[in-house]
Amino acid sequence: MKRLSLIWLAVMFFLGNAGLVRAETTLERIDKSGTLTIGTRRGSPPFAYVNQGNDWVGFSIDLVEKAIVPAINKKLNKQVKVEKKESTPQTRIPLLTANSVDLIAETMTDTQARRDSVDFSLTFFVTGAQFLVKKGSPIKGIQSIANRRVAAQQGSTNAKIVRERVPTAKLLEFPDQPAAFQALAQGQVQAYTNDGIQLTGLRAKAPKPDDWAVVGEFFSYEPYGMAMRKNDSDFRQVVNVGLMDAISTGLYFDIYEKWFGTKGEVPYPLSAETKRFLQMQVVPK
Amino acid sequence: MNYQFAWSVLWSGQTGTWLLQGVLVTLEISALGWLVAVVLGILSGALRTAPIAPLRWLAAAYVEFFRNVPLLVWMFFWYFSMPPLLPNALQDWLLDHSAEFWAGVCALGVYHGARFSEVIRAGIRSIPKTQFEAAVSTGLTVFQAYRLIIVPIALRLIVPPATNETLNLLKNSSVALTISVAELTFQTRQIETYTAKAFEALAAGTLIYLALCLAIAAVMSQVERRVAIPGMIARGRQSGEF
Repeated sequence: MKRLSLIWLAVMFFLGNAGLVRAETTLERIDKSGTLTIGTRRGSPPFAYVNQGNDWVGFSIDLVEKAIVPAINKKLNKQVKVEKKESTPQTRIPLLTANSVDLIAETMTDTQARRDSVDFSLTFFVTGAQFLVKKGSPIKGIQSIANRRVAAQQGSTNAKIVRERVPTAKLLEFPDQPAAFQALAQGQVQAYTNDGIQLTGLRAKAPKPDDWAVVGEFFSYEPYGMAMRKNDSDFRQVVNVGLMDAISTGLYFDIYEKWFGTKGEVPYPLSAETKRFLQMQVVPK
Repeated sequence: MNYQFAWSVLWSGQTGTWLLQGVLVTLEISALGWLVAVVLGILSGALRTAPIAPLRWLAAAYVEFFRNVPLLVWMFFWYFSMPPLLPNALQDWLLDHSAEFWAGVCALGVYHGARFSEVIRAGIRSIPKTQFEAAVSTGLTVFQAYRLIIVPIALRLIVPPATNETLNLLKNSSVALTISVAELTFQTRQIETYTAKAFEALAAGTLIYLALCLAIAAVMSQVERRVAIPGMIARGRQSGEF
């Protein structure tokens, strides 16, 4: 009996410990440590990846370093550093809630379900799901995948939509982009579905880009946002101000041109509609 | 911690069904992998102690090669590298019939087979040499002595380390998610995707693995009690030990 109550005490301590101390706000944490810790990716070009010089680079990382950090610097009146950690679709929410990172800056789609657990910045990129196939494949989009083997990334919103809309498709979910592409290249699957921009990036990086084609209309809407711990509106405000300033001053479009322009890593022209949408998210000063 | 726990995600909607499917796939892949591992383990474990040198070398080569390459690599090998070696028609047929599942069974089977082999070798080595000599002196051939005397005794001696290996195999089956086998860990991740409730999903997965492992350990402990050979183990069961 005594042993049992000791175990009970240990469990209570473990569960209750976190609640006893008043949660520090994210801005206080950053002020104290002088560091903004972001969760990002090593292998999602051109949003976030480790380049040949072993540096973390990419569109999402540039937005943090060039748009959000200056806003934080201004707010805290000091220079903060950026520390980067790897986050995957499975670990990013736990990393945030466990205070291991302060901001998720990669390719995270803003969804209503996710908003129950985290808060999102305004949308910084818009894409939708498509398919990567071998050139000349009979697969032309979501209408032609019934009874075919289709790869998706585990934890992605695309897998969910394929499962709901085409239950007869044989869906194989791989933990990361390279494994899914390997399966496509080897013929284990006939198509690989992911956000169109990521497939375009993957194709651009493939040994022979001309062997592959990105096909189909967008069959989902994937607005990318940066995720933060819930109920920390001061920090979210600083992040959003950074992004809004970047859009209104044109810095955002310079960074876009660097990664997605005709000379960028992955040419992906910004449509007039998307540009307008981005600008309309900017509220007056 | 700024996190709202919502345990109801584990039974609302489809999540309960997914967890159940995940448990079933984990049990299936583990059971089949275990069978392969035990058969390979008994064969190569016995061969490693055989009185014929080339057989010992063969078994040693199998053990060292398969246990010293990470399981993840075996998963990729059986899934990505094996099918291209097969004729096209068979390859297509396999890919349409859960190739990833069978690749997972093979990977778990050969990897844990090499580990089981060492457990069985240890069991055989613990049998006094005189036992083998006595068996042969009654007129049994070496093969008969192994099949009828040595291996059965060894199997009854190695229940505790074999339990250990079995539990490892069950937990290692989660590596199969890398080749898209929808087992338990895969399903907990899927629940996280749909509900964004990572802690609840992982906690459910953890508790299910724990329950499965405790159940296996309990069954194996019964087996151990039942097959123990009186007089073969010097110290009997101590009171209070369970």
